Amino acid sequence: MAPSKKKHACSQPCVIPGGFTELPLHFSSDSSAQHRLYVKEHRVRAERSSHRPLDRTLFVLNVPPYCSEGVVKELFSQFGSVQSVELRDHPGSSQESGPKLSKVFKPAAKQGFKVGYVVFQNSSSLKEAKSHPHDEPLVVCTEQRPVRTGVQKWIQQYQESFIQPDKLQQMVDSFMEEYDKRKEEVAERQRKEAEQQEEEDEGWVKVTRGPKGTKARPHSEAANKRTLQKEIKKKKRKELMNFYTWQHRNTQKEHIAELRKKFEEDKQRIALLRAQRKFRPY
Amino acid sequence: MKKKQPVVEDTGEMIPSHEEEDEAPVKAKRSKHEQAGGGGEEEMVYHPVKLSRSDLYRPPSAEELNQLKEAESLFHCSLLKMQMEELLKEVALSERRKQQIDSFIQTVTELLQAVPDSPEVEVSDLSWLSGAVKVPFLLVPKTTKGKFHMAPPASVDLIGSYPLGTCTKPRVTVDLAVTIPADVLHPKDVVNQRYPRKRALYLAGLAQHLTSSSDIGAMSYSCLHGNRLRPVLLLTPPGKESSSFTVRVHACPPPGFFKPSRFHPQRNNVRTEWYTGLQTSMSEGSEPPTPHYNSSVLGDLLPRAHLQFLSAVSSQCSAFADGVALLKVWLRQRELDQGTGCFNGFLASMLLTYLLTTHRISNTMTAYQLLRNSLNFLATTDLTVNGISLARDPDCTAPALAEFHSAFQVVFVDPSGHLNMCADMTACTYKQLQHEASVSMQFWDDPTVDGFHSLLMTPKPMIRTSDHVFQLCELVKLQSSCKKLNLLSELMDHSGNYVHTALPFILSLLQRGLGERIHLLTHSLSPDPEWSVESEAPKHKAQPPLSFGLLLKPELATSVLERGPPADSPKAAEFRELWGSRSELRRFQDGGITEAVLWDGQSMCQKQLVPKQIITHLLQLHADVPESCVRYVGVKLDDVIITGSEVPSTGEEESLRVVQSYDDLSRKLWRLEGLPLSITAVQGAHPALRYTQVFPPLPLKLDYSFFVREKISRSLVPKEDKPCPAYVTPITVICHMEGSGKWPHDRLAIRHIRAAFHIRLGELLKKHHNYPCKPCPTHLDVWKDGLLFRIQVAYHREPQVLRESVNAEGLLVVRDNEEAQALEMATIHKPLLTSTLHGLQQQHQCFGAVCRLAKRWLGAQLFSEDITEDTADLLVASLFLQPAPFTPPGSPQVGFLRFLRLLASFDWRNTPLIVNLNNQLTAVDYTEIKNDFMASRESLPVMFIATPKDKKLSMWTKRAPSVQMLHRVVMLAAESLKVLEHQLMDGGQMQDVRVVMRPPLDAYDVLIHLNPKQVPLLSQAVDPPAVTFSRGIMDGNVAHSGGAMPVVDYNPVSLYLAELRDSFGDLALFFCDPYGGTVIAVLWNPKAFIPLPFKTSQVSARCVEVTGEEAKTVPNVEAILEDFRNMGKGLVKSVEARTEKWSF
Repeated sequence: MAPSKKKHACSQPCVIPGGFTELPLHFSSDSSAQHRLYVKEHRVRAERSSHRPLDRTLFVLNVPPYCSEGVVKELFSQFGSVQSVELRDHPGSSQESGPKLSKVFKPAAKQGFKVGYVVFQNSSSLKEAKSHPHDEPLVVCTEQRPVRTGVQKWIQQYQESFIQPDKLQQMVDSFMEEYDKRKEEVAERQRKEAEQQEEEDEGWVKVTRGPKGTKARPHSEAANKRTLQKEIKKKKRKELMNFYTWQHRNTQKEHIAELRKKFEEDKQRIALLRAQRKFRPY
Repeated sequence: MKKKQPVVEDTGEMIPSHEEEDEAPVKAKRSKHEQAGGGGEEEMVYHPVKLSRSDLYRPPSAEELNQLKEAESLFHCSLLKMQMEELLKEVALSERRKQQIDSFIQTVTELLQAVPDSPEVEVSDLSWLSGAVKVPFLLVPKTTKGKFHMAPPASVDLIGSYPLGTCTKPRVTVDLAVTIPADVLHPKDVVNQRYPRKRALYLAGLAQHLTSSSDIGAMSYSCLHGNRLRPVLLLTPPGKESSSFTVRVHACPPPGFFKPSRFHPQRNNVRTEWYTGLQTSMSEGSEPPTPHYNSSVLGDLLPRAHLQFLSAVSSQCSAFADGVALLKVWLRQRELDQGTGCFNGFLASMLLTYLLTTHRISNTMTAYQLLRNSLNFLATTDLTVNGISLARDPDCTAPALAEFHSAFQVVFVDPSGHLNMCADMTACTYKQLQHEASVSMQFWDDPTVDGFHSLLMTPKPMIRTSDHVFQLCELVKLQSSCKKLNLLSELMDHSGNYVHTALPFILSLLQRGLGERIHLLTHSLSPDPEWSVESEAPKHKAQPPLSFGLLLKPELATSVLERGPPADSPKAAEFRELWGSRSELRRFQDGGITEAVLWDGQSMCQKQLVPKQIITHLLQLHADVPESCVRYVGVKLDDVIITGSEVPSTGEEESLRVVQSYDDLSRKLWRLEGLPLSITAVQGAHPALRYTQVFPPLPLKLDYSFFVREKISRSLVPKEDKPCPAYVTPITVICHMEGSGKWPHDRLAIRHIRAAFHIRLGELLKKHHNYPCKPCPTHLDVWKDGLLFRIQVAYHREPQVLRESVNAEGLLVVRDNEEAQALEMATIHKPLLTSTLHGLQQQHQCFGAVCRLAKRWLGAQLFSEDITEDTADLLVASLFLQPAPFTPPGSPQVGFLRFLRLLASFDWRNTPLIVNLNNQLTAVDYTEIKNDFMASRESLPVMFIATPKDKKLSMWTKRAPSVQMLHRVVMLAAESLKVLEHQLMDGGQMQDVRVVMRPPLDAYDVLIHLNPKQVPLLSQAVDPPAVTFSRGIMDGNVAHSGGAMPVVDYNPVSLYLAELRDSFGDLALFFCDPYGGTVIAVLWNPKAFIPLPFKTSQVSARCVEVTGEEAKTVPNVEAILEDFRNMGKGLVKSVEARTEKWSF
């Protein structure tokens, strides 16, 4: 299990199959063990995202939990100035949908190992990072750049969790304003679409029941189900129970079958319990 | 269904084939299963039966129809019938065993017939008895008159249960009556223990003869039902069958040798002059009667007659043997079938014959009905008042029932009309029997209870049945009690057995003293002593301690006041006599001046001990038993949850204070004006609000200088260099807001609106009541009375909104998701559970304390993450709601023991645990739940708990425990129960009940030791810590409002654990005692250590090993261990890696 101790030739980058370069990472200068970051230029066929330019983005795997975005930015600025850093739980395309949320309203993020997307100013930095020698580890926590962990970190976190009520109120207000605006926009758009539709229909207006005109085709699954159930119920009500002799006979037959089934079930249950020696009273 | 399956012609043949299939894996797995008790057998899974259509609907034969109908109408379900049949098979003797017994009896009989004669000597002359064999008799007084010689027995016969066919496993005993030849005895031998001594000598002679034989295995003496006058010789077969059965050799006089009328309970057969050795002037007529002595001699005269009588009656009734067997199992599970004054198998047979002869049961009834009718009879008949007799037409010399009643406590007269078969039974034992029978009948009639299990399969040892238990340790002290209670003639009657002499009097004394506080007083039946033939008969004091059990009436047991009669009433003297100097005249608020006794006790946990005070006081006062002899086992476990410095308390008072403060807050919330929507409900959702928080939050007064003060929000922040401040528990309160069209229909918008409500509520509470408040998007913290309430606003339609989404076709679909479930759990189910369990606490006082003990144990054994608080509370609730075969626990200790037993013995794999909260479930619901459970067992949680609101999913145990963890819980619970019961019942050894709270740490791979300074709950640890730290708390009165916001919910240990689980959750499991644990135990997940191919999604905390062209990843253990240290800087003291255990 011991990590591979074999040292590669001096000042050589360590490249593993798959094209990743291994960058050793120490927590502090006096720590003995190291994590390994695996870096590679970001290359995805499908994605055309503006904030992950293909030629300048470094894809970093296995970022330890104590490395925040700021720390990663500083760590990688030795290869060239860093434009932005994005840390995520899993690799994948970024999906920034929905309205922007302030931090306090987001659900708490997981504090585990992350993958990072480091965007450099220059594409040359990529090469620099990938050819970083294997025996010069990166150091997270130094004199100049202390990284808080443990009790220090938790106290800081606790302190940061304070929000002034009026600031919170402001956030709520601005969000709700935006929300109302968005809602209005949607309503407006729908209205316009409807108008357009009407126009396209060359002045013909469909006559429907009710103000909404949607009764005929329900728009939700639940409503669909409800209609179906109503039908079944209606059908059932029309049926006559125990009216004919054959119906009566059937019920009796069902009853015996039920008893038999139960008997068999019990028998099997007993066999099972017996097999487990569950009948020894002591 | 259309597809034809192969039809099995005869269903009867289906079963054996099943068995064969099952048998093979069972044998292989059995040893494992015994440890697991329900663990991981895959073969044992129940699959719903699939009968083919033609099988189900084929026309029934008349016989089958009858069978089905009988099963349906006679029993709750046919299952019970089959279960009983299986049970009977388990206890019945096999043919092979019977053959063994028969051949051994044959050998023994032949050996006994060959006993040589010996010359006649004086009874007190033991010189003829050469060798090491001793006489099984306590020779007090030393001598008696008479002559004795050995002679071959007149006859050797089988008696008792074996020839009757009612002998059952385990502990098979075969009784053999050896008739002493008439010329050895003399008709006057009944007087002054001459006959009993001769009988003992005869047994010794037989033993001496048998020692030389190689056909006999071990040999020892015992005595019948603890009666030292009736020694018996126990023989076991040689070789490896030695433990399979025991032959009990009784020596008997020839039938009819003594006149039964000599043994009338009013007559004397032991002369005071002889017994005391003092000259007395008493004539024979004025000698005290010796009923117990008489019945012990008479009992020897009748066994053959009894056997004849029983076999005559039982041959009429086909199910007699089965009925007796069931009754014996029932008695044995209740520990009533052995020892002095027991209700043994012989009495059970006699009872059934009585019922048969009086036509209360008919000959055609099944074993099931026999058991039911005899229990019903026992439950409704009080033999201590209305004795019964089997004698049809007793002769004129036979005593009347009234005469029996005056001599004995329980009366059940044998067919001869002369012998009371219950002579040694105390009234308490009979009351216990009656109580057991009546609760058993209740469970039987309740369709929601598994009658079979609770009646016949669950053992009821005293420590788990009685709420409080105490023991009399040094029984020799009872000698002086006999003197004090003036029981000399009774002592003579019992031939010097002071324990049995004093017992009935002590029992009635305690019964008087405890009076209304208890339902039932029980005592252990002292087991029959057994000693080797080569040692002297043990003294009376060698008996194990006597145990007494109390079944408390919870509402009265803890009252500190014993109010007696008015001072001027004639009963006052009686009251004073009973209580002695503790009785005082007191004036009460209603104006009455009465005698009264006031016991000590302020908090609930002290009041629990009032019965102890009463018992020790009464025993000291009336029976000369010093307090040091009374070992009271009732509250031994409470130590682990005790808080409070001045008045020790187990949390009842603190919980009450929290609930009162909450009630006040809730009222204030309702009255708030100026909210845009009105409040529709305020509900507590925290264990502290249902009395089940292990350590309820205490009102705190803060020392501001201990903290950094945040000026803007007037809050406190912990200082880095100081110890971690005291933990402030947030008590969750859910506040439902009225539904309205104003609520947005969008998840994010609802979240923001809720935040706005939190702000508004905070403002109002601050303005009207001056409570410091801290609003957050998710909750509002309110600091009140030194407690912190965390109010969460809820909107009842929010889970629905979370579930809705619009799919690609524009159709609104409703899909369940985790987020919605979590929200429903927090805002609907938890508050409901809290209020329901709060109600349960009002019904059962000690519910909360049992929960606290149970959760303390779970925490200490590092199971808090697997069995969550809510789950544990539900498990405990089930003990109160469905106590069968017990009554609801009346003390925390007994509740806790039953909790462990439930965990350890419940068949989690095949049965759902149904917790019938508020009694909402009917029998139909029970079947429905069971069927649903069976149908989809595989997909359901391993620990399945159904409640009225949650019949199918078991939402409380969905996340945890896993199979492995449940297995471990079951194992540890069984072990803890064993250790604990042993400790509680055995007074001899060192007492440390905390042993069960110390987890075995040797199973773990890494131990992270924490710095106690940063563990805020250190004082709650199982073993009180050596050092204490100042945690920013001051003594003194707590301000009700105002002040700065304290440090809330800041616990470095749980923060650290959360971080560890987030980072390394898929590599290892982390365990910690949440109540002051200073060790985090880490267990590597073996699956994670299998090298995996390099993938971008699975490189977390791993390093790559390259072999050729292949890159595999393995966990980077060294770096992880260093991370443990780094991530917990300041908190972690050391990381102990037990590398020698790792095997990857």
